[in-house]
Amino acid sequence: MMKDNEKKFTLPMLESPRTLRVKFRKVGNLQYISHLDLQRTFSRVLVRAGLPLWYTKGFNPHIKMVFGMPLPVGAESECELLDIRIEREMSCDEVKARLAAELTEELGVLEVYPAERKFSEIAFAAYDYTIKTAGDPAENAARIKACLAGEALHIIKKGKAGEREVNILPLIREITVTAEGELIRMHAILAAGEGNYLSPEALVSALRAQTGILSGNPTEEHYRILRRAAYLADGVTEFR
Amino acid sequence: MINEKISSVLKSVEKPGRYCGGEYGAIIKDKAAIKARFAFAFPDTYEIGMSNLGMRILYGVLNEQPDIWCERVFCPWVDMQERMREHDIPLWAHESGDPVREFDILGFTLGYEMCYTNVLSMLKMSRIPLLAADRTEEDPIVIGGGACAYNPEPMADFFDCFSIGEGEDNLVEFTRLYVKMKEEGRYSRAAFLHEAAATIKGIYVPSLYEVTYHEDGTISAITPKCDDIPARVEKCIMADMDKAYFPEKPIIPYIEAVHDRIMLEVYRGCIRGCRFCQAGMIYRPVREKSAEVLNRQARCIYDNSGYEEISLMSLSISDYTELEPLTRSLLQWTDRNMVSLSLPSLRVDSFSRELMERIASVRTSSLTFAPEAGTQRLRDVINKNVTEEDLLHAANVAFEGGKTNVKLYFMNGLPTETAEDIAGIADMAKNVVHAYYQSPHRQKGRSPQVTISVACFVPKPFTPFQWEAQDTMEMLSEKQEYLREQITDRKVRYTHHDARVSRIEAVLARGSRKLCRALALAAEEGFGFDAWDEFFDYDRWLSVFERAGVDPAFFANRQMGLDEVLPWDVIDCGVSKEFFKRERARAYEGATTPNCREKCSGCGANKLGGVRTCCPQGAK
Repeated sequence: MMKDNEKKFTLPMLESPRTLRVKFRKVGNLQYISHLDLQRTFSRVLVRAGLPLWYTKGFNPHIKMVFGMPLPVGAESECELLDIRIEREMSCDEVKARLAAELTEELGVLEVYPAERKFSEIAFAAYDYTIKTAGDPAENAARIKACLAGEALHIIKKGKAGEREVNILPLIREITVTAEGELIRMHAILAAGEGNYLSPEALVSALRAQTGILSGNPTEEHYRILRRAAYLADGVTEFR
Repeated sequence: MINEKISSVLKSVEKPGRYCGGEYGAIIKDKAAIKARFAFAFPDTYEIGMSNLGMRILYGVLNEQPDIWCERVFCPWVDMQERMREHDIPLWAHESGDPVREFDILGFTLGYEMCYTNVLSMLKMSRIPLLAADRTEEDPIVIGGGACAYNPEPMADFFDCFSIGEGEDNLVEFTRLYVKMKEEGRYSRAAFLHEAAATIKGIYVPSLYEVTYHEDGTISAITPKCDDIPARVEKCIMADMDKAYFPEKPIIPYIEAVHDRIMLEVYRGCIRGCRFCQAGMIYRPVREKSAEVLNRQARCIYDNSGYEEISLMSLSISDYTELEPLTRSLLQWTDRNMVSLSLPSLRVDSFSRELMERIASVRTSSLTFAPEAGTQRLRDVINKNVTEEDLLHAANVAFEGGKTNVKLYFMNGLPTETAEDIAGIADMAKNVVHAYYQSPHRQKGRSPQVTISVACFVPKPFTPFQWEAQDTMEMLSEKQEYLREQITDRKVRYTHHDARVSRIEAVLARGSRKLCRALALAAEEGFGFDAWDEFFDYDRWLSVFERAGVDPAFFANRQMGLDEVLPWDVIDCGVSKEFFKRERARAYEGATTPNCREKCSGCGANKLGGVRTCCPQGAK
């Protein structure tokens, strides 16, 4: 099957490059792919999709890609955002269809639209945690709640100036914890702004340190983190 | 899809992307429609395995068969191996996540000797008995192939069989026979292996051959145990490379592979005949692909991969007869798509300004050449038909093109090497530095860097130097030290291989079945990743050799007799032993042999046939 990747050269030029926003999912096994590897992956996906990409004009021309929020390895997401730039006319629907053909179920395109807001407007992100612990779920859920109701929940942050203790409670806007059968479920809205960001993984580490959950055999005790949405500073309006 | 148990430990290992699978281009099939499951194992990490073109070809070719499902298996890194032990996880296949032991056939590609211990540790992780003789009807058939299978003897006890030569047709035929015998209800391990050995070209079943030895440890005879299997196993080749399968829809790894680019195989074989080079002999006869087919394949892979670089793969790219039309047709579409070309195997005698302008390496500041030896005398001995003049010319072209770094590959310990040859290496490097300062086009204000990387000669089966003794470790170390003393120019950087690794490599390369015991001991003691400096332990190797009653010097440092039965004599690589003897004699006379295109030197490989080759035909 021959592809029509040469079609891009026949499309009308835009007056200036256009930025399109790609919303995609990164779930299942793809949670183990690092940010750097994801960048490399997308640079290839965009090329083989035959998009009329805009290239930088320097000595070593390359395509422009800007990702929304970083997603730690080991977390899944239904709301990843990537900005790309095209230099010729192609509809968002066609871009989406072309991307869909080059992606897999675990790394799937959800939406393509012209970018309006800046990524710097992202302030919060919502996460679902599904936790399987070795002990009694209700009991462990209660311990987690107690932890979150305390005055502070500390993590150790390693920075240039050495290690320092950070209280993460102010970075948690909302959180609910429920025991459901074998599992503990948490829904959390965490700070996700530039310079004011709580990694969803850091919350797990803090709870592990405080309650001892998830410190046993990983085949018996495990957890899943799913990022569901990004929000503006009001914590309610979804960022798109 | 990997199962939950594997997935759950991925949060606690380095580079979990090595294990998670799910890549674009990976082939998933419905198990219900599958009659044979083939696990294709690469005995090193995922990043290295995914850079292996042979594996990609055979993966694709087997999966062309609707009722065969070929999956990939890689060697988990040590941290993952630890998790697997802790949580009782057996080795699994990449696509389905199913345990390797459940497969019908397990194939290993044997690319270099130092991966042998990984093969054994992977068998252990799969919970498949190490010794072929101990396997039951429940275990997969274990088959090996690749460059090291040309002397399979050190691994003979661990493999049910080997596929010799190019496996595209041969592995399919092998797997089809397996399916057929199962369907006809006449399958048993022994019956299948026997029939495969008797009816499929290139299949070597070591258990069907008896090896007898003289008192001094040399071989007296290798004899087939049955009348219907060949006394010597002739390798398979793909006659017409234009028609050979080529993976046009490659798997795109998420994590960075060592070679993360389009690998376009331009031709097989080599016209040159360097006397130390195994690849130049075992892949004969030369068979080219046409520029037209290559251009079409390249375009197709580009469309299906999105890679930005095309690497033209061959043993010596400038010897490709259609290089000019190929690069011309590629450049018609690569340029505007921002795709660059790279030619990794350039010879100094063919490096022109025009060629350099076409290739991607222009973007980097360094170029690599392999003069291999420091004096014309020794280069004649090894039949490396390049001169210092060629090198200086190539270096000048590079400097004019704005390069400042040149990397040169050499070898220590080649037959007949003297102190003068070693000093010659330092002189050549110095002369390249000198040429830089003489070049009117050099980058003003920047100084050159000439790196010389010196390997140790390892005598390899199926080369004119297959009988030669490797220098002892002491000699090699002395030579390395001597060369260091000769280098006075600070613009010259000097690195060399570890002589201890080269010695073990020589033992394994020229070993007989007597090495199986040592390798079994190594497996028992948990050897692995011996190709990685941090895990290679020379003294431990000496210790297993000693306990297995193997004298490493017997295999590495002994001049083998020209009339001796060699362990690999059971294999026929197409090139005759008489040719190797002639070439060896010419080496000692310092006489060069013209390349295959100038004049046929009668190596014998033309008996195998081949299309778009330079061999005289009809000599069958």
